[in-house]
Order: sequence, then C-alpha cells, then structure tokens
Amino acid sequence: MTIKSVFQAIEALPSSTAFRESLNGYPFTLTAHVVSMCLFAGLIIMMDLRLAGFGFQKTPFSELQKRLFPWQMFGLIVSSVTGTVLFYGQPMRYYGKALFWTKMILMVLAGVNAGYFHLTTYRSVGKWDKDPMLLPFGGRMAGYLSLALWAGVIIFGRLTAYNWFTYDGSQ
Amino acid sequence: MLLSLAQKVDASALVHTLRDIAIIGALVNVAHLLALSVFAGALLVVDLRFMGAGLTREPLADVASQARPWLLAGFWALVVTGLVQLALQPVKEYYSDMFNFKMKVMAVAIIFTFIVRPRLARADETRLRIWGKLVGLASMTLWAGVAIPARLIGLVG
Repeated sequence: MTIKSVFQAIEALPSSTAFRESLNGYPFTLTAHVVSMCLFAGLIIMMDLRLAGFGFQKTPFSELQKRLFPWQMFGLIVSSVTGTVLFYGQPMRYYGKALFWTKMILMVLAGVNAGYFHLTTYRSVGKWDKDPMLLPFGGRMAGYLSLALWAGVIIFGRLTAYNWFTYDGSQ
Repeated sequence: MLLSLAQKVDASALVHTLRDIAIIGALVNVAHLLALSVFAGALLVVDLRFMGAGLTREPLADVASQARPWLLAGFWALVVTGLVQLALQPVKEYYSDMFNFKMKVMAVAIIFTFIVRPRLARADETRLRIWGKLVGLASMTLWAGVAIPARLIGLVG
C-alpha cells in the first residue's frame, strides 16, 4: 500500500466526494481555516516578538506564554480540524503539490523548535523572565526561528492555491 | 464615479503588465496574509485583555501601548498590499457584494480600533466593568466581519 493509494482511497469515500462537491462546504471551511490560522499565528508572533527583542519588553515572558497559550491552542485546534477537512475533501489535489508538503515540513519544524525551546532555554525562565537583556542567545534564536518558520507556513499555505511545483497525481 | 475610476485603473498598461506576471498577484496575496497575521495578533492581545482574558496581570494601558506599534505596522501593510490587490482587479471588486460588505464593515472597524478603543484602553480600568468586555467583543466581531467576507471574495458572491 502506497501513500498515493491511501490518498486515492480517501478521495473515493462518499463523504469526501460530498464535501468536494458541496456548494458552500469548501469556501466556508477554507475561510474558517484562514481566520483561525491568523488567530493562532498572530498570537504566536506576539510571543516570538518578545523573545526576539522587538516587542512586549515590559511583560514577563512567562506571562505571555502562559496567558496566551490557551488562545493559541484554540486557534491551532480550529485550523488543524478545518485543514484536515480541506485535505480530506481533495487529497489527490495535495498529493503532488511540493508547496503543500513544504508547508507541512515547516509546521513540523516549528513544533520541534517550540519543543526544544521549552525543554532547554525555558527551564531557566526564572532568571531572564522580567529582563529581556538577560535572555540567553538560544532563546532569542528560538524567537527568530519561530517567526521565520510560521511566516513560511503562511507563505507556502497561501501559495498552495496555485498549481506551481505540482507533480504526479494531482488534479 | 467609482466605476469609471475602476475601469480606468483596470485598463491601464501598468495593471495589465502586473496582471500578466502571475507571481506578482501571488506575492501580494502572501504579503497581505502575513500583514493580517501581525495585525490580528496585536489586535487580539488587547481585545482579550479588554475581555478579562490573556495578559490580565498587566495593566490594560501597558498591553495596548506595547501592541500599538505592531497594530499600526500590520494595518499599514494591510492597506498597501490591499490597495495593490484592488488595483489588480478593480472592476471585479466593484461588482463583488462581499468586497462592498467588507469595505463598509472595515470603515466602522477602523474608527472603532483607532479612535474609540485607544481612549478606553487609557481609561481607569475599574470603571470599565462590563463595557470592557463589550469593547473587546465588538472589536473582534467587527474585524471578523472584515476578514471573513474578505476570504470569501472570489469563492462566494
């Protein structure tokens, strides 16, 4: 069983076909995906700007992290669910799209970057929480990297609408 | 008058040239979305604070003043990229119900965000009470009323 055959099987499911052929299903799901992605990415960007030294310097980092986290997760869950539905409706459209897979890889890398930051630099947050000047180099780099990776997710996500760099299997 | 202006822009050589280069439209769309993310983040941090959520341990005025540079940067980037998007297909947008609805809601949202909301953010928080929650809710509703029809342009209506 190949990935392509799995995608083809999903696309042949009646519910996938029903979503694909519905008049309003695709536009409204896409809209919910984009709006929730902006909510999620926007709040992540505000936190990353604090790390990178470009904003919210008066606010302790742990405050931004803890207080915005539930809202970031809300945005992430809605955008993940709607994104999965969009994919479910036309998996073969995305199968051969290099831009779509680039977006997916960047999302994974952004998650790895966030996880690594929490397991390393964030452990000593008490030492640099209130003073941005004390932030370790690794923390600042995590902020820059997160900004770049999430910008990449948005860029490649939007470019997925175009048929550039589309190879075998796509419609 | 607006239609004749849209037709003139639509027929201009510059717009024809830009439209023929597919990547221009794509890059402008991408830049618009990036600007929207920055704007949405700066807006939401303050709206959540108005509603008694998010950065509740920080004074409202501090949260608003720290978010303001990014709110303005996101807003002006949205305006510039939005104008280029409009210039690329002005007649189509003129006849779009979604675009017209978006513009009307946006006019109200801009006045609310840049005139009404900053005054309330500087006010004595203890006196805001339920009004603070209403301000945050109104702001989010207004901008959702801009973003949702904006994304639906070209997809519905």
